[in-house]
Amino acid sequence: MKEITINPVTRIEGHAKVRINLDDNDNVESAHFQVVELRGFEKFLIGSAVEEAPRITPRICGICPTSHHIAAAKACDQIFGAEPTDTGKKLRELMMLGQFIHSHSLHFFMLASPDFLIGHDAPAEERNIVGLVKKSPDLAKKAISARKFGQRLTEALGGKPIHPTTCIPGGISNSLTEQKRAELLEMARPTLDIAREGWSVARGIMNNTDTDFGAVETAFMGIEKNGRFSVYDGDVSILSKENVKTGSFSGVEYPDYLNEYSEDWSYLKFTRLYNGEYYRVGPLARLNIAEEMGTPEADSGLDEYRETFGRFTQATLAYNPARYLEFLSCCERAVSLLADPSICGTDTRTPAEGVVNERGVGIIEAPRGTLIHDYSVDENGFITKCNLIVATCQNNYGMDRGVEDVAGKVVENGNLSESAANKIEMVIRAYDPCISCATHAIGKMPLNIEFCRNRNII
Amino acid sequence: MKIAIEELAGCSGCTIAVLDLHEVILDILNEAEIVYSPVIMDVKEPPDEIDIAFVTGAVRNEENMERLKNIRKKAKTLVALGTCACYGGISGLSMLSSNEEIFNTVYRGVDTVKEDGVIPTDVPPFTYRAFAVGDLVKMDYYITGCPPKEQYLKQIIPALLKGDIAELSRKSVCSECDRKMGSVEGWHLKRRYEGKPDREHCLLGQGYLCLGPVTFGRCNAACPKNNIPCHGCNGPSLDILREPCRDLYNMMVRRISDLTDRPEKEIEKELYDVSHTMYPFTIGSLIMEDKENSKIRDLVQERSR
Ligand code: SF4
Ligand code: SF4
Ligand code: SF4
Repeated sequence: MKEITINPVTRIEGHAKVRINLDDNDNVESAHFQVVELRGFEKFLIGSAVEEAPRITPRICGICPTSHHIAAAKACDQIFGAEPTDTGKKLRELMMLGQFIHSHSLHFFMLASPDFLIGHDAPAEERNIVGLVKKSPDLAKKAISARKFGQRLTEALGGKPIHPTTCIPGGISNSLTEQKRAELLEMARPTLDIAREGWSVARGIMNNTDTDFGAVETAFMGIEKNGRFSVYDGDVSILSKENVKTGSFSGVEYPDYLNEYSEDWSYLKFTRLYNGEYYRVGPLARLNIAEEMGTPEADSGLDEYRETFGRFTQATLAYNPARYLEFLSCCERAVSLLADPSICGTDTRTPAEGVVNERGVGIIEAPRGTLIHDYSVDENGFITKCNLIVATCQNNYGMDRGVEDVAGKVVENGNLSESAANKIEMVIRAYDPCISCATHAIGKMPLNIEFCRNRNII
Repeated sequence: MKIAIEELAGCSGCTIAVLDLHEVILDILNEAEIVYSPVIMDVKEPPDEIDIAFVTGAVRNEENMERLKNIRKKAKTLVALGTCACYGGISGLSMLSSNEEIFNTVYRGVDTVKEDGVIPTDVPPFTYRAFAVGDLVKMDYYITGCPPKEQYLKQIIPALLKGDIAELSRKSVCSECDRKMGSVEGWHLKRRYEGKPDREHCLLGQGYLCLGPVTFGRCNAACPKNNIPCHGCNGPSLDILREPCRDLYNMMVRRISDLTDRPEKEIEKELYDVSHTMYPFTIGSLIMEDKENSKIRDLVQERSR
């Protein structure tokens, strides 16, 4: 049997490849999205003091570290019985918005858009942010500045733009000063202008979206708060593939709804609903689930989005405009939170005393979809068991089937041209998968080697 | 000038840290050409002639190993970028269990999977342990940090591209911290959730395990300034690296003992979960493990038994 591989899949976070198996007539027999890495956080967190989880788990992913930081912190709130103060919650939400603004603008402008703006047939060397700098320097500069605001926001609240550290059981360790608020607001407004302007680009992409591309039919899952798009809190809703609400959960009961399994050819697990149905998460899911974005401009954008795709859509490439609308909404929400002086409140944290519950489940919406951190601890708060369910596992089936769908269309006489390979990768990229998140490892019994070396630390 | 970024087992945070140079990236692109970086561009294999390659992440499987050897061959100058590459980073925590235990937990041991779940084998096999890249091939430079901070990358990268080395501070996190040393009485070690640290005084003096004294600086003491004790994400301080008989653990114990006037033995009794609180970023490093008084060997053996 002949095999074609695309290795590595590029412009995504982490390591993955695509393997296409051909039959004797050179037709596509099967194709898979294959993840070649695993780290094992679920194992190596065991034994750790649970309050360290918010500092360790961000290292699962350098693109959405805040999501892991906050999901772990929410689980700790429950374990220590410390519900965060109002200001604490707002600051955490604002930090999440920083995460979305950076991650979504990174994906939209720098990872996915080169396919749309430069062209998916363009030479590989040009189809990237560097090419975008050459082709549309103005747009590239705006993309850089939008992302910069997202990272500055995270840094201001989390201590660092990548791997923030400030969320602790019961809230957040530090308050926002009036001066810092003014500074951030000054950056937030022009970022909102960029988001607003960019909507016309996104709308253009939307009008040219092929709704059959990477087709797959699934149920959807995502958080909503009273029908609104929400990134920090709310209940998780499940919609069947016929658009019927079939479930809802908010914490420890999640294993009643979801199960996971693995395949021999990938380190990445698959998640499905308890009844065996597959589902997807992320921007497409959230926009299918939410009634409204809850911010004015994103809401009017949502109307246009729904004119194109309907109230409920399975179109894989609609992930891209959906992501854009979320970016717009997060910019609006950041401006409104920063415009309110109460965000500078100093009561940022409810004191924690000791373990109140021996289990805590933190659920939030990460940029790529619903994220679940589940910790069981002993009476002193040391982790005895841990389960992490990340967006990319939940989208694994969608990506895997999408890859096969497109492979079937673009493989010709047993060959895959470079631009056809990129089409397959476009399906994967639509999900903005995060392989580091998805793979959580290694080794034992070190070999003792005599070691003495001058390290050139610079 | 052709530059490349190769990603091994890590989180891509180091590549994002390079993007976090923001508009400075545009200046860099005027001077240098990025020829390979899978997170941001489509070129699938590093080309042959690379002037400077940055490697991020640790080595945990055979594919990582091959990629590392390959980029070493192709690059004139090879730079370990970030704490994973320099010291194994957080991936090193996997040293606390065997590969089998990890697979069993992930694919069979969590609440949402079945006990007879498939353990993948048609994938690049794990190496028997995690490695820092410098423990496997010769590196020309090391840039520490999880990830390295913007302010320093702005000084380091443009200089490297010109063939220079920026002269930068090599001090510890404490030297960048603005907290005052006060008198220390009735010291006892606190968990991080306990109490509210005051903003004026040294966290270590207040009972929080702050790794500032044993950690390489250049983060502007980001955590202590936000009322969070340092976790050591920049890796060991220079004095620890240089002296064979200095290790994170014994230096911390000595430091606390000096601060509190209590014998080292008593301090040691208060410490808990040393692998996650003191070694989370260095446990995969042979350099750190080979120190005569390192606790790493004990920690690894204890858990793998
Ligand atoms: S050093 Fe930190 S930021 Fe860099 S790859 Fe490793 S975990 Fe990620
Ligand atoms: S031990 Fe921590 S808090 Fe104290 S001076 Fe050093 S960095 Fe600052
Ligand atoms: S204070 Fe410590 S943990 Fe925080 S960023 Fe600096 S080195 Fe890392």
